[in-house]
Amino acid sequence: MNTPNTALSTNPTLSGELLDDAALTLEELARACRVPPGWVIERVEAGLLQGSPSPSGHWCFASASLVRARRLHNLETTFDANAEIAALTADLIEEVAQLRQRLRAAGLNG
Amino acid sequence: MEFKDYYQILGVARSATADEIKKAYRKLARKYHPDVSKEPDAQARMVELNEAQAVLSDPEKRAAYDALGSGHQGQQDFRPPPNWDAGFEYSERAGGTGGAGEDYSDFFEQLFGRAAQGRTGRGGPRAHQARHEPQAERGDDHHAKIELDLLDAFNGAERHIDLRGARLDDTGHVVTQARTLQVKIPKGVIEGQQIRLSGQGGPGYGGGPAGDLFLEVHFHEHARYRVQGRDLTASLPLAPWEAALGAQVEVSTLTSRVQVTVPPGWKKGRKLRLKGHGIPGRGSDPAGDLYLEMELALPPADTPKARELYETMARELAFDPRAGL
Repeated sequence: MNTPNTALSTNPTLSGELLDDAALTLEELARACRVPPGWVIERVEAGLLQGSPSPSGHWCFASASLVRARRLHNLETTFDANAEIAALTADLIEEVAQLRQRLRAAGLNG
Repeated sequence: MEFKDYYQILGVARSATADEIKKAYRKLARKYHPDVSKEPDAQARMVELNEAQAVLSDPEKRAAYDALGSGHQGQQDFRPPPNWDAGFEYSERAGGTGGAGEDYSDFFEQLFGRAAQGRTGRGGPRAHQARHEPQAERGDDHHAKIELDLLDAFNGAERHIDLRGARLDDTGHVVTQARTLQVKIPKGVIEGQQIRLSGQGGPGYGGGPAGDLFLEVHFHEHARYRVQGRDLTASLPLAPWEAALGAQVEVSTLTSRVQVTVPPGWKKGRKLRLKGHGIPGRGSDPAGDLYLEMELALPPADTPKARELYETMARELAFDPRAGL
């Protein structure tokens, strides 16, 4: 068993893709959440997760869907929650976040 | 390395049943879930809880941990003996407790290694691949939050981002790697959006490609501007005569100075909208707006002249601010 080493590296400037400019495919979203694509499909078909049709006829997913999918998966696995309960909880979490943002925008403590 | 007492972390006895462990975990997970918790160390506590649950909910790993941990207490310095888990057999297991993209402590990594994460958190074949014969497999995607200045969204920017993570080196040992990425921040980015850096996630296995790194964008709080989506809100202080009579005033936005026409007849809560002066648009998404909340600023009555003007108004204006009360 080795003690962890620490390495420091600096990379050249990286140009990232802004999701919403180039949305994730079904497979990319599933991989980013560490779930099988079927998990994503079930939740999109049940209306728990939003996917948009791409010009090629496949689904694509924007930033908000990635955050939500990771949240759903986390809730389901942490609490052994079924998909609907996890989605309901995610809805409430997102609504609270939106209300807090509106409070901050109104100059009140969010 | 500090020994982690997973029983203590979950607040259960060493003799706790699987059901008691599950209940304790869920109770604490509700308290420290990063989406809802206001505890300052919620994220770190959640990582600990997930680790404890990952080990104690798996009979095989719990047995190995119990055999290793007898006689150790939390906080003690600890180094596992060589081949500490020899004789324990692990099975692959789908599902489990781990959240996507979560971290594990050095203690967990040293005991169970990267392979154990595959077994507990997401299942799949990696457990055996990591220990036995590597096959080409893509690395994990990683996730991190970054905080940017609001101005970066207006102009685009290049930013240094410091990240710290653990990875297995070529010999299978855990290496803690700190790295600094220099990242181009695209103009028009908004809060909550994700920037994907291809190939900057976890390294591939057996010659497979690296995963991607997803950066979730957040803004530092700005002293003057409040942000909602692409729209900004700021206050616009007005003198009483500007508010009452209307005026042309010069206002500085984040990137320029503009002339603004203030209409006569101020009312509390009224806002002026400067169309297109919010965060720049991107693609089909138009630029946001800048909202100016008009606020009254009273000149102090600290000179004879100022007092005289206030007294004139008091005498000559039939104004009762409390008429409606």
